[in-house]
Amino acid sequence: MNRIAAIAWNTFREAVRNKILYSLLFFAVLIIVSALAIGNLTLHEEVRTIRDVGLFGIDIFGVIIAVFVGVNLLYKELDLKTVYTILPKPLWRWEFVLGKWLGMLLTLAVQMAVMGIVLGIVLALEDAHFDVPMAKAIWLLFVNVMLVTSIAVFFSAFSSPFLSGFFALGCFVVGRSVPDIRALGETMGPAGKGVLSTLCNLIPNLHLFYPSGAIVGAEEISVHRQFVDADYILSATAYGIAYSVVVLVLAMLIFRKRDFV
Amino acid sequence: MSETHDIVLRAEGLAKTFHLGFFRKRVEAVKEASFDVRRGEVFGYLGPNGSGKTTTLKMLMGLVFPSRGRAEVLGRSVPNRDAKRRLGYLPESPYFYDYLSPEEFLDLVGALCDVPRPLRRQRANKLISRVGLDHARGRALRKFSKGMLQRIGIAQALMGDPELVVLDEPMTGLDPIGRKEIRDLMLELRHEGRTVLYSTHILPDVEMTCDRVAMIFAGRIRNVGPLSELLTARLISTEICLRHDVGQIPTLPEKAQLRQTPDGMMVDLPEEADVDAFLKAALTAGSSVISVTPRRESLEDLFMREAAANKVTA
Repeated sequence: MNRIAAIAWNTFREAVRNKILYSLLFFAVLIIVSALAIGNLTLHEEVRTIRDVGLFGIDIFGVIIAVFVGVNLLYKELDLKTVYTILPKPLWRWEFVLGKWLGMLLTLAVQMAVMGIVLGIVLALEDAHFDVPMAKAIWLLFVNVMLVTSIAVFFSAFSSPFLSGFFALGCFVVGRSVPDIRALGETMGPAGKGVLSTLCNLIPNLHLFYPSGAIVGAEEISVHRQFVDADYILSATAYGIAYSVVVLVLAMLIFRKRDFV
Repeated sequence: MSETHDIVLRAEGLAKTFHLGFFRKRVEAVKEASFDVRRGEVFGYLGPNGSGKTTTLKMLMGLVFPSRGRAEVLGRSVPNRDAKRRLGYLPESPYFYDYLSPEEFLDLVGALCDVPRPLRRQRANKLISRVGLDHARGRALRKFSKGMLQRIGIAQALMGDPELVVLDEPMTGLDPIGRKEIRDLMLELRHEGRTVLYSTHILPDVEMTCDRVAMIFAGRIRNVGPLSELLTARLISTEICLRHDVGQIPTLPEKAQLRQTPDGMMVDLPEEADVDAFLKAALTAGSSVISVTPRRESLEDLFMREAAANKVTA
């Protein structure tokens, strides 16, 4: 456990000392703060706009950071040859992958917390509260980036950062559109429906983590009115963790067999 | 203690074939590597660039899976975590996490080697001093020179207090002072009872440090044994130096060569049997003999001979 924690802490420390991540975080904060200005342009919808734009910023920048760092997580170790020093230590290869992933998760958690705090401050400036639905929404976005990170790590276990990034972003876009793809399948013949249904079953359903505007249990879900209940949060979190575990185990199996030439 | 217990590392018929590129071209990096390393010795793994030294060491460290053969390190089949706990490894041209300071890096390595935290700090401090990096304690590794990186690399290899230290090309890129320091350190490690295996192609370093060596050419081990056995067996020639201003130079035997040196005339006799007769003839002719030097095969001679033989058979 100490070894995994050491790798995780080092991964977090690397991210904290990486200036590119600060730039991304700066832009995320900029978008959240700009929600204040955009909100002022609307007629009595300031708080609603701030919430929407703020969550959008956290979502998009969370995913960008997850993909950017996730695809480089293992590749960088190979490219810079640091793996030659670390793996001959009394460490299983799966411990290394898990440690890297946990470190990445810690980084994302801190970044999303910072973005959430900034959003809370912006809301307070408009005399609004950072309420439970907002906390639930940000938690779901965190599970979302956890899953995207796992996918990025999986691809980076066997391909270049460019391809890994391309595949991971592709999974994000398709995963977010799962309900639309299913609906499209309904309009097609049995073959088309079968293909799209299989695709939807393989690709993670990331729409679960951004439910605002969707119909859940015959009710329209929104962070502004009725948001998802605790059961939904639990099941979505369980889904995210289960999918991440499967993808990570596959990444570990691939990494276990690799020659580090 | 029996011979078997004395062996800390054994490679038996290790081979590695890579399949490279789109057409999966076969490249045999190591064709056959068999040798053993005994406890408490400094063992040199010699070979020219691209001969398979690093691939062999990577197989021993569990970084590359052998295509054939097997390896045991500290009595366990490779890779084994208990064995890894008792060994330290410095990769070739090492790269470390350059955003860390030496203390942070050694602390990380210590944690991976299951060294308890208080002992980690103590050991890291000692090792930083031992490799002469006291002045750079707070500096990020990205600001380190090649020599300093090599030193911190050796420190990290020792962080787990290993019985066996494996160093891949530890002298590469170092200046003469740095090379001497690393040589001295290896001898110190042997004095402490540790076993050192290192790969190199810098032959004078090997002659100064190694108890035994293995030579690898084009992926195949050619010679394994103590340097004394590998080198003394072969007399290359006898050099006889005569004063050039006294007496006459007698007739030279067949294959003998004559050249002028600052000290006098140097006669190089390849055949040992010609030496007595030539000396007699020289003294009879009134020559003055300055020196008679049997020239044994040096490591470089052996290395070049094997390299040439290998080129012919490759």
